[in-house]
Amino acid sequence: MDIPSISKLQEAPVILETKIPSKPRAGLRVGLAELALLGSIVFAASGHLLIKEGLNVAASGTLHEPIGLRILAYLGQPSVFLGLCVYGIGTLAWIFAVSKREISYLFPLTALNYVVVALGGRLLFGESIPLKRWAGILVVVCGVILMNQSSEERTE
Amino acid sequence: MNSLWALWASIAIGGLAQIFLKRGVSGRIYFSRLPSFAWWKGLLWSGWLWAWGISFVIATGLWLIALSRIPISYAFPLLSSSYILVAVLSKWVLNESVPAARWLAMAVICAGVILIAVA
Repeated sequence: MDIPSISKLQEAPVILETKIPSKPRAGLRVGLAELALLGSIVFAASGHLLIKEGLNVAASGTLHEPIGLRILAYLGQPSVFLGLCVYGIGTLAWIFAVSKREISYLFPLTALNYVVVALGGRLLFGESIPLKRWAGILVVVCGVILMNQSSEERTE
Repeated sequence: MNSLWALWASIAIGGLAQIFLKRGVSGRIYFSRLPSFAWWKGLLWSGWLWAWGISFVIATGLWLIALSRIPISYAFPLLSSSYILVAVLSKWVLNESVPAARWLAMAVICAGVILIAVA
């Protein structure tokens, strides 16, 4: 009676194995760790922007208060608080990525932060990007793609 | 304190922080795709994770001190030198293998960061 169910159990890993390619594929290798890294960069950048926006509001009225009260006033700003939370989520995503990949691989990839901030500044605030900076962004992206090719083969 | 010293100390301690973090999580294996809540809670008791957090705070403080006196366009590209520091330390301390392609990629990324900074 148990025999059919056992054979079904034995089938399952075989089906799973066919889903995971055993040979390294050409092109970008994007796993959970890479997604978490991207998430950590976007969250950290958005957190910074939110904190900055909140500080601009809070700093206008409290210049002559003692530092302790000023910090309390800053934290009371909804966008500062929200920014810190968003930044915290980004940090958790970074820790998760670090648990999955080598640090010599992940850390240089955080240079994407500059690309995200430059593009975010352009899209959200209409800041212009000079030609030289576009060139820099392109070079960073090339380096990131190259770096991605050196990701270690690891099961996920 | 000399602000240039503050800048380099910030870069070195910030790089060291990443080594602490990697050392802290690498001993903690999980078998599913995502770590469990207990895994996250366990990090609170890891000395390496505390070392990471404390060095992160110190590095950020030093960075702010440095930035108050050094122009950001000068300080910012120097930050990318921490990629090289982390790679060297990860090879020596954590025994990570750093293939040639990765060193090359690092150089390309650093060049891009410098281009962005001087633009």
